[in-house]
Order: sequence, then structure tokens, then C-alpha cells
Amino acid sequence: MDWIRILLSRCTALFGRRKRDTELDDELRAHLDMAIDENLRAGMSQAEARTAALRSFGGVTQTREAYRVQRGVKWPEQMAREFRFAARGLRKAPGFSLTAILTLALGIGAVTSIFSVVDAVLLKPFPFPDQDRLVVLREAVEDASGRTANPDNYRHVMRLKGTSTTLQDVAIFAQRGESVSPDGSHPQVVGTVITSSNVFSVLGVQPILGRGFVEADARQGASPVVVLSYAGWQALFGGDPRAVGSTMRVDGEPATVVGVLPAGMRFPQIRLAPSTRFQETALDALLFEPLTPSDRDLHADMGNFNYKSIARLKPGVTVSQASAELEALQNAYTLSAHLPLHFGIALVPLQKDVASGISGALWMLFAAVGTVLLIACVNLANLQLARAVNAQRETAVLAALGASRMQLVRSRLAESLLLALTGGAAGAALSIAGVRLLLALAPSGVPRLEEVHVSAPALVFAAGVSMVAAIAFGILPALRSLRVQPQAALHGNPARTGNSREGNRVRRIMVAGQVACTVVLLILTSLALRSFARLMNQNRGFDASHVTVAEADLFTPAYDQGGAKGNTIRMALADRISGALRQLPGVQSVAMTSVAPLTGETWVDTLQRPDHPVPEGQQPAINVRWIDPEYLPTMHTPLVAGRNFTPADRAHPYVALISERTAREGFPGEDPLGHTIANLLPDDKHPMTIVGVVADARINGLKDNAAMVYLPYWAFTPFTLSFLVRSSQPTDALIPEIRHAIWTSDPRLAIPTIKSMDAQVSDSAATDRFQAIVLTSFGMAALLLALLGVYGVLSYSVTLRRQEFGIRIALGSGKRALMKLVLRQAAYPVLLGTGVGLAVAALLLRWTRTVFYDSPGMDPVVIGGSLALLLGAAAAAAMIPARRAAAVDPMRALRIE
Amino acid sequence: MGEGKSDVLQGTLDLIVLKTLEALGPLHGYGIARRIEQVSGDVLSMNQGTIYPALLRLEQRGWITSQWGTSESNRRAKFYSLSRVGRRKIAEETENWERVAATMARFLAPSS
Repeated sequence: MDWIRILLSRCTALFGRRKRDTELDDELRAHLDMAIDENLRAGMSQAEARTAALRSFGGVTQTREAYRVQRGVKWPEQMAREFRFAARGLRKAPGFSLTAILTLALGIGAVTSIFSVVDAVLLKPFPFPDQDRLVVLREAVEDASGRTANPDNYRHVMRLKGTSTTLQDVAIFAQRGESVSPDGSHPQVVGTVITSSNVFSVLGVQPILGRGFVEADARQGASPVVVLSYAGWQALFGGDPRAVGSTMRVDGEPATVVGVLPAGMRFPQIRLAPSTRFQETALDALLFEPLTPSDRDLHADMGNFNYKSIARLKPGVTVSQASAELEALQNAYTLSAHLPLHFGIALVPLQKDVASGISGALWMLFAAVGTVLLIACVNLANLQLARAVNAQRETAVLAALGASRMQLVRSRLAESLLLALTGGAAGAALSIAGVRLLLALAPSGVPRLEEVHVSAPALVFAAGVSMVAAIAFGILPALRSLRVQPQAALHGNPARTGNSREGNRVRRIMVAGQVACTVVLLILTSLALRSFARLMNQNRGFDASHVTVAEADLFTPAYDQGGAKGNTIRMALADRISGALRQLPGVQSVAMTSVAPLTGETWVDTLQRPDHPVPEGQQPAINVRWIDPEYLPTMHTPLVAGRNFTPADRAHPYVALISERTAREGFPGEDPLGHTIANLLPDDKHPMTIVGVVADARINGLKDNAAMVYLPYWAFTPFTLSFLVRSSQPTDALIPEIRHAIWTSDPRLAIPTIKSMDAQVSDSAATDRFQAIVLTSFGMAALLLALLGVYGVLSYSVTLRRQEFGIRIALGSGKRALMKLVLRQAAYPVLLGTGVGLAVAALLLRWTRTVFYDSPGMDPVVIGGSLALLLGAAAAAAMIPARRAAAVDPMRALRIE
Repeated sequence: MGEGKSDVLQGTLDLIVLKTLEALGPLHGYGIARRIEQVSGDVLSMNQGTIYPALLRLEQRGWITSQWGTSESNRRAKFYSLSRVGRRKIAEETENWERVAATMARFLAPSS
């Protein structure tokens, strides 16, 4: 048991070392003083007494040292010494140390920050109880072109809810942007959810104040109530608990606030259909209103596919079981009700559905990050191996001098640990900065972005992997060199014979691997950049410069009057605002349209030709926009055939313009001018006569060249008016003037959007820009790491072969030949890696076509450019050691021996 | 080490210190060192400093304890005293020592 006590007391001695030292000094001083006293009493002089006391004591310093050894624990002190020694060694090789630390930092930082984003957006579950039982329910339609998932018909969902045995409950809802005002000031447009009253029980959410919905709230004629999300409560009422019970205006109508939801509950952003992207989804839901089904909801089996549904599966039911049951129910109903379309079901887990829009891009980033981590680890391994070869002789000398194996391994371990810890710390710091950077760059549309934090498991993983790589490859060569007899190592002077052939090959393969990974990443990066450049520079069919967009929201009772009366009121308002805007200084033209450009699909319909009926489901899909005659000139969208709308059409507004694509798809081989289209007007069955064909324009979104039908606002004036103001004035100066002009016409209007069209274009491409920027930074990180790899390996081997080069020069070898020798050594692995990288990229390119916009796959410019960049950079990295080799002074090189 | 004086074996010193403390009770380092010099009659000579690592070792084993106090000449000094374990150990160590000494004596005795 003694040893335990000794160890304990020794360990406690590690702490408070200074105090113990002082105590010892006190004790020794007391000893000497007592000795001197005794000597004085014996009659010695002061000086003699002191000398005698010191003599009989022996060496004070030696005693102190022996005492300390007895007191201390051996290994921590030894370790500290080992670390000091390692730090000195690393400082002496700053190139190696910096390269290794930088590699670790880059690898850990990049991997952790990206993984943190992927984790929060894709992997972390929603805060709903048993959220894995929540599914998004859509109707699938099978037609000639395949199977598509569509939004829901109210009647269909209610039938499924009534008959299904796998679903516990289904909530059906629609999302809107509505103008709300808690106190009668200028209203603002916020996201709202109009939903069946069971939505909170389906999601498993309890209000923190007041109550949720009851079925009576949704009954016809019930007094209107709303429930606020926590964010809505904060934004509209400043978190005032008196909000519950108060009255606010929603689209101009009074409604009573009955409840507030908890802060953790944010309504999931799901899309109507996977293929569509509606502007409303960009707005976070702040307000919930009960859905009172209309007659159409209750009775229409066809059309009215306007709803989203979230269902909760019964416990123990799998998604595929529920799918099978609902599919059968839908099929049976299609047959029994003689529906013209064949309906099925599309169930997607809620989690997956929310992430689906961006998961492709994020997974690609994740793969890129993995590659960077791999390159980083290979780099570390390579650097460590090279260093070990360099240290082989030193190791042999130490072993010959009697250093134990443990000591040898320990010194390598200390160095590797020191590198790993420094690099790991730098990596952790970089990952915090990286997450901040990603959040700053990320488009606001990425869901759940506010939940992103540096993920601790990711940091541990990335740091763990790369630190283990650094340490393992630091120790392995040391262990191996132990098997070598010191004698042999001393004889085979590594500095003269160069590296062992075997070690050399391993390192070259590693460099080749790095280069291969880098080639793949570079090609992906340049594809992303090219695709982004194409997205921004392609012909859009409209001119965004010098145009300011302002959107006015008319969802208030004054304008929401049925039929012609409401239309006349809205039209008068549109004319009044347009007139006021034209009076602003510097304005060249003012146009009006139903929807601000680049906000996605809005009014989707099908093209129906009375002269050429096509069975339902096979008519081409079109987007309807309401415009005035100034729209085309203001947008600089050219007219291809026929004529624009003219003021003369106002009296008889049943005219239409179609885009070239609509003409191609709806009137193949025909001249569309003079043909009519049916069933486009909301309240009026009057057919519209085509008077002109307009060039295709990407006004839904830069990636979307949708088929368009433009109709004059005289036929129907929409509930949102988007004014486009082309002016020589900057947007900043225009914004207050435009606001003033709109609110002078009616102060109750909400203005959800007001910005320059250039900003609108740029915002709409935010996701692509984000992807391009992030991929580029990875490409650059990989390139940098690969260069460090090439440079590191070559410069080490040049250092080792310095004497060989000296001899070669002495024997008459020219500098040029020497440089060639070194460059050739670099060329093999680089070229091999490039070949492998190209092959891998060729396999990947098939897949990237679906990820990148308008990507041609094998793009010679991209591949040529990436290769040129890589090879150029590799040559530059190899040139430095090559020149150093050529500059070897033979006399000095030979004398070192 | 001076000539005519013998070096001290480690285990021996420990036993000497223990015996000293047993005989004299609590004592400071200087006192122990002087006592050893006096008893051994200057034959067993050592640097007085050597006593301190030995004292620490014994303390770490728990055989003695230490405490700051005041010396007869009114100086602050660290006093060492036997612990209960130490008292038990003296018997053991003495026996050990006697066995070794007896063995040595047999080797050293003039062969008869």
C-alpha cells in the first residue's frame, strides 16, 4: 500500500510547488542557523561558524535537488520536458510545422462549419413530439408524362381522413400573405396559415397563452379568431400578454386573438408541390386562422387543388403502410366517382420534405468537405512520414547512445501531440468563424438557419480524425525505425542515398491521391461558378437596371367586393397610383403587373382552346400575369409578333398576349394570333383573343422560363398591384416618394416589397450564389492543401538529397538537368493523380447535371481551366525545391558530411 | 566522502532515523543529523543534507509525520515524529537489518 500513498503525496506535490520549495528553504535555513549557533557556542568566529556549518551540511543545492526528485512525480515533469523539446524542434522546422498546423486548421474548420449547417438544416428533428410520425400528404396524379405530386383537394383529403385506418389525424391548410394591423396603423404583410382547427393537436403543440382552435371556430358565421405564433406575438404585440382577447385587423377585417403558441414552435415551411415554389412560403407564419370550408371546398372533386396537408400516422404505422392504404383508397375513389384523372397519393416524412429543396446542394457541400478532410489527413500523413525519414538518422544515433524505445516513441509522440493540439485549437477557432461566415453568406430562404450553431459532435469528429491522423503517422515511422538496427541506420546514411525507395513510393501515391481529390473538387467548383455565371448572364428577356419594384397589397374589405364592382374599384386605385408615380421627378415610365418579377410561380392555369379541345390533364400549363400596356416597354421585353395592348382595348378588354413558349406548346405549327383561349378570368367565362406574341422572359425566376399568358388588368384587376418604375433616380431616393404616392392614394394599403429590380434579381439567386461561394472556398482550400502536399514532399526530398545533388554538380551535371530531375520526380504523382481525378469527375458529372443549373456536363472550358490551374500551381510548387536543388553549392554540400 | 568514513546505505539511514526518533521523540532535521553523528562517533559520516530526502521519503510512506514548531534556541523549525505505522515498522526493519547484518558477518568472518 505504500506505493499508493507515495504516489498520492507525490501527485499532490505537483500543486503548490512554489510553497513547498519555500518550506524546504525555510527548513534548510533553520538547520544551518542551528548549526551556526552551536559552532558559535563552541567558540568559533562568525565566519568560521558559517563555513563549518556549510561544510558539514554538504551541498545545499544538491540536497535541494535530491529532495525535489524524491518529492516529484516523474512522468509529468518528463512530459513537460518532452513537450519543451518538441516545441523547440518544431520551431526549428517552421515550414513543416506551419504546413501541418494550417492543414489541420483548414480541415477541421471547414468540415465542422459545414457539418454544423447540414446538421441543423437536414439532420436535426423538428421540436414536435413524435415528429417521425408526421408526414406531408399530397395527391399524386398519373398522366402520360409520368407521376407528379400535387397540392390537395379539400374533399379528397377529408374523405381520406374519414376512411383511413393508418392515419391518426390530418390537418389541412393553406398559407397566405395577409396584411395585418394590430392597432389600425399602416398594415404590414405577414405569413398566415388558414387551417383546419385540429392543426395544433396534429403537430402536438399547446398554446402558452389562451387557447388553440375549437371546431366551432371554423363554422360558417363564427366570429373570426386568430392564434399568434410566438414570433407573431413579439412582432405585432411586443410580447404583451394582454394581446389575448384583443382585436386586430386581418385583411381589414376585425379578428379576436385567442391564443399564443410557444417559442419553439415554428410552422414547417412545406411547398404546395415539390415542383412549385410559391412566394408565400418565404414568409414565416405569424398568424393562424381557422379554415371555414367553402361550398367549392366541400363539393368540387376536380380543380381546387389549393391545400397542403400534414398527417400524423397512428403509432407503429410505417410511411409505406400508410402510402399503400391511401393509394388504394384514392384509386378506388377515382374509379367509383368516374374522375377524369387518375389519383394516387404521395407521402413524404415532414423532415425530409422540408429539407428536400436544398438537400442536394448541401450534401454536395458535405461531400466536398469530406474530400477536403481526406486531403488534409493525407497531407498530414505525408508531412509526418517525410519528417520521420529525415529524423531516421537522428533516431538511430539516439538509440545507439542508449535511448530506450519508449523514450524514442515518446519524443515523436510529444511532437505529434503538440502539432495536433495546436492545429486542433486553430481548427476549432476557424470553425466558429466559418459558421458565422456561412450564416452571413446564406440566403434567408434556407429553412431553420437560425438553429445553426457549431456542432460539438462535428467538431469532435473532425478534430478527432485529423488529430489521430497526425499522431498516428507521427508514431508509426518511429515504431518502424525501432526495428531497424541502429548500426544499419547509421551505415545507410539517408542523407546520401536519399529516401528509401519504399517510403518514397508511399508518399508519391499519397500526393497522387491528393491531386486526384483536388482535380475533382476543382472541376466541381468551376462547374458551379460557370453555372452561376450563366444564371446571371443569360438572356432573361427583361432589363432590370434602373427599375424599382413596389408591391401594394389590396386584401382589405374595400377592394374585396365580388364581381365587376370590386374590379372597378381596384382598377381605379391602380390608375390613381400609376398616375401619381408618373408625376415623380426623373421617371421615364411606370408599369403595373400582378406580381413582382422573380417571386416564383403565381397564377398557374392550363391553356384551354375552344377551337382545339384537349382532354383534361394534357393541356399545357401556363402562368397568368395581369399587366398594363406600359409593362412590355418598361421591362424592355420585346414583342415578337402582333401588337401590344393599347388604351383602346380598355372598352373591350378580352385580349391576350402569350409568350413564345406558350405559342410553341399551345399552338404547335400554327400562328396563334387571332385564336382564343377559354376559362382564364376568375369571374367571367369570356374567351380571350390572342393579339400578340411576346419574347420569353424569366420573370418567375432566373431558372424558370415558364409559358406565360399576359392579360390586361382591365379584364380583371388583381389583389396585389406591383408597380415597376423606370427612372434615372436611384432606388434609395425613389423609395420614400413611391411610398408616399401609394399611401396618398390609400393609407390602408400594405407595401410588402419595395426595392430595386437589380436587388430582386440578386436576391432570387442567393442560394446559387451561396453554393458557388462555398464550393469555391473548398476548391481553393483543396488546391492550397494539394500544393502544400506537393511542395512539402518535394522540398523534403531535395533537402535529403542535397549531397547527392552536390556530387552530381561536382561530376559536371548542369543546373538545368538537376531541375529536370526534381521536376520529373514531381510530375509522376501529379499526372497520375490528375488522370484518376478526371476519371472520377467524369463519373460524377452525370450527377452534377441535376445539381447545377444549365450544366452541360463535360464542359471543356471547365475541365481545361481546372487542369491548367492545378498543373500550373503544382509546377510552381515544384519549382521552388527544384531551384533549391540546382542552387546547391557542391563544396558545402559535400563538406556537411 | 572523506577517507575513513563509510557511506550510508539507503535502508540503513531510514532505520537510523526511525530509531533516533524513537529514542528522542519529536526532533528537527538538525537534531537528527547531530544525533546520528554523535552516536556513530563520526565513523558513519554523511553530509547532513542527506537527511532531508530521507525524511521526505519516510514521510511519504507515512512512517513519520512533520509539524512546524519552535526549537530550544527559539527558531522556527520542522519537527518530525514517529507515526503509529512507523513504530510498527521499526521492529520489522530492525529484524530485516539484523538478518542482513548476520549474513554479512558470516561472509566476513575469517574462514575457519
